[in-house]
Amino acid sequence: MQEATFLILTALADGSQHGYGIITDVQQISGGRVRLRAGTLYMALDRLRADELIGVDREEVVDGRLRRYYRLTPAGTKRLADEAARLQAHATVALRRLNLAGGMAR
Amino acid sequence: MTDQEHLERAYRRLLAWYPREFRHENGQEILAVLMADAPDGQRRPGLAQSADLIRSGLWLRLRPSVPRSARTVRAAVKLMYAGAVVSTVNLILLLALIADVKVDHAILGYRLTAAQASRVNTPFITTWILWDLVPIALWLWMARACGRGRNWARIVSTVLLGAATLNLTGAFGPPGFRLSLVPMIYGPALPVLYWLAGLAVVWLLWRPGSRAYFRPPGYTQAQHQAQKAELDHQAQMAELARIRARLPRQV
Repeated sequence: MQEATFLILTALADGSQHGYGIITDVQQISGGRVRLRAGTLYMALDRLRADELIGVDREEVVDGRLRRYYRLTPAGTKRLADEAARLQAHATVALRRLNLAGGMAR
Repeated sequence: MTDQEHLERAYRRLLAWYPREFRHENGQEILAVLMADAPDGQRRPGLAQSADLIRSGLWLRLRPSVPRSARTVRAAVKLMYAGAVVSTVNLILLLALIADVKVDHAILGYRLTAAQASRVNTPFITTWILWDLVPIALWLWMARACGRGRNWARIVSTVLLGAATLNLTGAFGPPGFRLSLVPMIYGPALPVLYWLAGLAVVWLLWRPGSRAYFRPPGYTQAQHQAQKAELDHQAQMAELARIRARLPRQV
């Protein structure tokens, strides 16, 4: 799974969000490192909807403009949980080995 | 006109790069995000933002929306786009080569004077370029149509494989019968590779897993959705069976 996809799904794990909300949340989650552009975001949202990992929660009109809220589907929740567990397992091994290497160096 | 109106108009022009259906469905929403993301006083879209919109728009125009469940069709469509990319790279290489009059005539094995060469060169080059544009156009056309579940495209792809098989035999023939520069430069390797890719595409398109994705004439959207749901259900059942198989047997 690409990092942007992982971050978008993570942004939606806490509840439904609209497009601009996802952009600001992804920026926050990544510590300001990832700043999604609108074109990239909607391309990813379109793919995630086609794969049925996210769905539309509701639509609102704010200041005369459409605002669509997206939410994770059960399949999306499972996919994110699987990916997070995979990354965590890799990170745990990496940290353990780094600590071991550091201990030997001392 | 205010700065905001100016910026919005520029963004609307950039959104024209997106497919009409996508624009109709998401255009207003993307525009709202773009305007919310723009700092006060901005009158024109930034270069990076513009490039991102153009890239996304083009990608969505070319990319078929084949669901994950139709794996064989997805693989076939990806292979067809890969074929288009290889054909394009090939055309660029050929253009680089045939720019040199001496090289292209050396390739043909002709011995012409400079005056004769300049007379025949332009129509030859034009024909070759057009001829080498054909496979690119066919790969893209078939990829797009198959990606949209058009059953006729599956049949046309099969017919084209038949034509490619006939063309392939020409790849090994004498120079006078060769219609493309491809076999002249690379030998038979590349045409054989194209043919194998075509064979793989047709094989994937006619796999039992692809059948439900292609609609016969007169098929309605609702019927197609029902078929797609059935495919998804089958995929879920298969996944469940795989999980069950991995579980330890209960006594």
